[in-house]
Amino acid sequence: MLATILKSVVRQIRRHPLYVGLNVFGLALGIGVFLTLALLVRYEYGFNAALPDVDRLVRVDTRWSLPGTAPGEYAGSTFHALSFLREDFPEIETAARLENTGLSTVREGNFTAFVSGLTDPSFFRVFGLKLLHGAPDEALARPDGLVLSERAAIRLFGTTDVMGRTVPVNRDGVTVNHTVTGVLARKTTPDFLSDIEMLAPFASSDLTRSCFVAWGSDCGRLYLKLRRPGDIVSVNARMRDFVIRHAAGADSDANALGMHPEKVFGLSLAPLRGARFRDFHVLYADDGVDRTVINSIGLMGLLALALACANAINLATARAGLRAREVAIRKTLGASRKVLFVQFMGEAMLVAVIAGVLGLALCEILVPEVASLTGEALVVRYGLVGVLLPLIVVACGFASGVYPSMVLSGYRPAAVLAAARMPSGGRGAARLRDALVTGQFGIAVTIVICMLVINHQTDFMRTADPGYVRSGLLIGSAMPGNDLAAQRRMLDALRAVPGVVAAGFGELAPSPDNKTRSTYTYDGPSGPVHVHLLQDIVSTSYFEVYRPRLLAGRWFDTARGLDDMPARDETRTRTAGAVLNASAVSRFGFASPAEALGKVIGTGGITARIIGVIDDVRFESPRQAIYPEIIFFDTLSKRPFVDPIPAVRFQGVVESDMARRLNRAWAGVLPDVASDFSAVDARMAAYYSGDERRGRIFTLGAVAALLIACMGLYGLAAFAAARRVHEIGIRKTLGATGRQIVTLLLGDFLRPVVVACLLACPIAWVVMRRWLAGFDERIALTPAHFLIAVAGAVAIAILTVLGQTFHLARAEPARALRAE
Amino acid sequence: MLIDLSHIQRLYRSDEVETTALLDIHLGIEAGEFVAIMGPSGCGKSTLLNILGTIDRPTSGSYSFGGQELTELGEAALAAFRRENLGYVFQSFNLIDELTIEENIELALIYRRMPKAERRHRVAHAMDHVGIAHRARHYPSQLSGGQQQRAAIARAIVGEPRLILADEPTGNLDTENGAQVMDILQRLNDEGATIVMVTHSPSHADLAKRRVDMLDGQVVISVRNAI
Repeated sequence: MLATILKSVVRQIRRHPLYVGLNVFGLALGIGVFLTLALLVRYEYGFNAALPDVDRLVRVDTRWSLPGTAPGEYAGSTFHALSFLREDFPEIETAARLENTGLSTVREGNFTAFVSGLTDPSFFRVFGLKLLHGAPDEALARPDGLVLSERAAIRLFGTTDVMGRTVPVNRDGVTVNHTVTGVLARKTTPDFLSDIEMLAPFASSDLTRSCFVAWGSDCGRLYLKLRRPGDIVSVNARMRDFVIRHAAGADSDANALGMHPEKVFGLSLAPLRGARFRDFHVLYADDGVDRTVINSIGLMGLLALALACANAINLATARAGLRAREVAIRKTLGASRKVLFVQFMGEAMLVAVIAGVLGLALCEILVPEVASLTGEALVVRYGLVGVLLPLIVVACGFASGVYPSMVLSGYRPAAVLAAARMPSGGRGAARLRDALVTGQFGIAVTIVICMLVINHQTDFMRTADPGYVRSGLLIGSAMPGNDLAAQRRMLDALRAVPGVVAAGFGELAPSPDNKTRSTYTYDGPSGPVHVHLLQDIVSTSYFEVYRPRLLAGRWFDTARGLDDMPARDETRTRTAGAVLNASAVSRFGFASPAEALGKVIGTGGITARIIGVIDDVRFESPRQAIYPEIIFFDTLSKRPFVDPIPAVRFQGVVESDMARRLNRAWAGVLPDVASDFSAVDARMAAYYSGDERRGRIFTLGAVAALLIACMGLYGLAAFAAARRVHEIGIRKTLGATGRQIVTLLLGDFLRPVVVACLLACPIAWVVMRRWLAGFDERIALTPAHFLIAVAGAVAIAILTVLGQTFHLARAEPARALRAE
Repeated sequence: MLIDLSHIQRLYRSDEVETTALLDIHLGIEAGEFVAIMGPSGCGKSTLLNILGTIDRPTSGSYSFGGQELTELGEAALAAFRRENLGYVFQSFNLIDELTIEENIELALIYRRMPKAERRHRVAHAMDHVGIAHRARHYPSQLSGGQQQRAAIARAIVGEPRLILADEPTGNLDTENGAQVMDILQRLNDEGATIVMVTHSPSHADLAKRRVDMLDGQVVISVRNAI
C-alpha cells in the first residue's frame, strides 16, 4: 500500500507540479510561520517561568495617587521599607534590593559599559541563581566583591576562569578596584535577569541616600521570596495597614509621607510569574509586553496555519473531480472503498509530511530573523517543535485528506464513466471553496490593515513633534554630583567645541533617569488647587538648545535676577520665576496659558511665580500621558545642579563627529566619568522599539497571510479555469467577446476577495481602535489605511488570476467545446 | 443566396501529423432552407458546421453570409456576427450547469446588450415555444435529456437568428424525445428559419428539405427531399 501511495504521489508531482507545488509550499509556509510564531509566543509566556520557586517570588511595587495626575503603579519601591517588611511579615523568607546602575570598567582612560546592578548578598539565594565559579552566599558579602556574567568575564579577560582578578569599576565618576568573587552561569531560559553582566554590593555610603531612608523616594527594586505561593495574597491584604503604620509621620518629617500616607501611597506585591505582561501596564518597568499583542501574534500563527490548511482542503476538493475517472476505473477493476480511502488519505498525509519537513526548515530560517526583528533571544526549541510538528502534520493531512478521500472513494463508477463532464462536487462544494477563499482573504486583509496602522503609528511616534527640535541636538550622560565649579567648567568646555551653537544643562532630558516631583498648590478664586508637578531645572541657553515653543509670557532671562532659582538657604524667603508646560496649566484650571501668567504656586517650601508657558515637551514614552511640569532656572551663579544632563545644539558638523568632539571635551573636565553624547532618537529608541518590533512581526505575518491566500486563489482559479473551458466555449459560441469573458471571470474570481475586504474592514477597525487607545499620542484611523489594504489585496488578487483569465478568454470556441 | 461556401479547406496540424478535415467544399444555402448533413463519423460534418457557425476558421477558402465575407473578420467582429445571426443546438446540449434554464436562454440576449424587460419577454416566449416554461427556474442537471435539448433550442431561437445550426440535436435522445425535437425544428423552419442540421439518423434527415452527404471531407451528394 505504501508503495502504491508513494508511486501515486510521485506521479502526481510529475503530472500536476503546479497543484502539488501549491499544496506543499502553501502548507509548508503555514507550518513554518505557525511554528515560528508559536516559539515567540511560548518565549513570552515562558518569561521568568524558569526561575526556581518563581511562584514565591515577588517585586514590591509602589502605587502613587497624586493630586492632578492619574494614579499609577510603578515598578520599584523605597528600600527604606525592607527592614519593616521583614519585621511585619514572617512570610518573607528572604529578600534582595537591586538598583540598576551604569557600572563601567576603565582601562587606560577608555570606559566599557556593562548592564549592571548593585544588590545584596542574598540576591543569588532569592533567585536561586547558579554560579559557574564562586559561592552564591559569599560572592557579594565583601564590599569589593564583584560577580560577572560569563559573557562579561570573557569580554574582560577572555576566559571565565577569573576568580580573584581585580577589576577597576567606575561608578558615577569614581573608580574603585573590585575583586571577582563569582561568575554567573549562562542561562538558557529567558527572564528579567538574563541581560545582567555585572553585579556589585551596595557601598556603605549608599545607605544614607534618600531612597534608603525616605518613604517617598525610590531608586530600585525590592524583591521578596515568600515561604509559600499563597502568601502573596495574605501579605497584599495587610499592606495598607503596613503603610499606615510605618510611612505616616508629621508634615515636618521629610522621610515620612504625612499623616495619611495611604491616601497617596500604596505598596503591593507583583508576582514575577506573568510579570512580563503585567509590566506593560506598570510605569518604569523593565520591558513589559502587551499580552494582547502576543496573543494576536499567536492568533496570527494559528490563522496562517488555518489558511494553509484551508488551501490544502480547497485544492484537494477542487482537484478531486479530476481523479474521478481514475477512481471509477479502479473500482471497476475491483478496488474496495476502504482501500481507496486509505490510498487517498495516505497521499494527503504524505504531502503533509513533506510540507512539515519544509515547514520546519522554514522555521529554522525564520527564527533567527524573528529573533533579530524582536531583539529577543529566540531559538528553535525542539522540545516544543517535537510535540507541535507531528500534531500539525497529522491534523493538516487529515483535514486536507478526509473530504476528497470520502468523496472520491464514494463515486459510483458507472455514473462517472458515463458522464461527459468531471464532477466538481456541485454547487455546495463550489460555495465551500468560495467561502474558504473569502475567509483566507478576510484574514489576510485584516492583518494587512493592522500592519499598516501599526507601522504608521510607529512611524508617527518616531517623527511626531515632541515639542522641541530634535535634529542637531546631542544629549550627554548625567554629570554626577553637585560641584558648581565643575559644572561651570563643563558648560564652558562644551560651548567652546567648534560647531556648537548652544549648550546647556537640564535636570531632565529625553528618557530621564531621575525625576523629582512635588505637589504644588494654587490658591485660586474657588479654593486651592493641588497638582503634582514634575520638576526640571534648566541653565542658561537651554531654550536655544531644545527650542521649545513658548505659548505665553516669556522664557527666563539672566538679566532678571528674580528668574533665578533661589539658593537653598533662601528658598523659603524668595519667590522664583517658573515656566509651566501646557498640561500643568490645564490641570491648574487656567482657561488659557496667558491667564496663568503672574500667578503664584507653591509647595510650602518653594514658591514660584509663573512667568511663561511652553507647549508640552515629550521626553518619555508616547504611550504615557505628558506629566504636568514646572521648570526653574539656574544660572549657576550660586546654586549647583544635581546630576545635570548637558545638551548641545550644533550646526555644520556630522553628528558622529560632533559626538566625538563633545566626548573629548567632557573627558577634559571629567576624565573619570564615562560620557556618551547621543541623539534624541537613540535615547528614545527604547520607547518605540517594542512597537516597532511588533510592527515587523505583523508585516511578516501579513506577507505570509497574503502569500498563502494568493496561493489559494491561484489554485482555485487554475481549477476553475480548467473546469470552465467548456462553459467559455458555449458563451463565445453565443457571441461573447474576449473582453466580456475576461470581465466575467475576473468578477467571479474577485467576488470572494471583495466580500472578504468588506468583512475585514470593520474587524480591523475595532481591533486597531482598541490598540491605538493605548497611546497618548496617536494617529487617526483614516479610510486611507483601509483603502490601501483593500486596493492592494484586490490588485494582488487580480495579478494572481489574470494569467488564467486571459488564457481562458483566448480559447477558441470550437476547441473549447470539444474539451472535457 | 444566404450562405455561399467555396473552396473551403480545413487542415489540423499537430506536432508531426497533418489531418485534412475538409477538402475543397462548395455549398450554397438559400434563406428558409432546412439542410441535413449526413455522413459516417470523421467525415467532417461537425467541422463544416463549426465553420458555418464561425466557431472554427477554415484554413483556406471563402465563406460569404448574406453577401458578407466572413473569413476576413476579426475575433470581435465574428463574436458580434454570431450574436446577431446564429443560433446553435448541440448534441450534448451545452447548457451551463451553474445557470438556471431561464438564465441559460437569456445568456444569448445578454451579449446583445438587450434591455432586461425585452429579454424577459423574449425568453418567456421562446420557452413557451418549445414547451419548457414550467422548468424556467430549474438547473440543467434537474431536467431530462429531452427537456435540456428543448431548452437548448429555446436558447438558439430566442435571438431570432437568421441561421440555426444543429449538431446531432437528437443524438443523445430517445426516440420519443428525438421526434419532439425534430417537430420543433420543422415548425421553426415552417415559420421561416433557415436550419442546417448534422445527423446520423436517415429518418430525421428525411424530415429536412435538402440532404447533403459527406465523405472524407467532401460533399458527395446534395439532394432535395420530396416533401
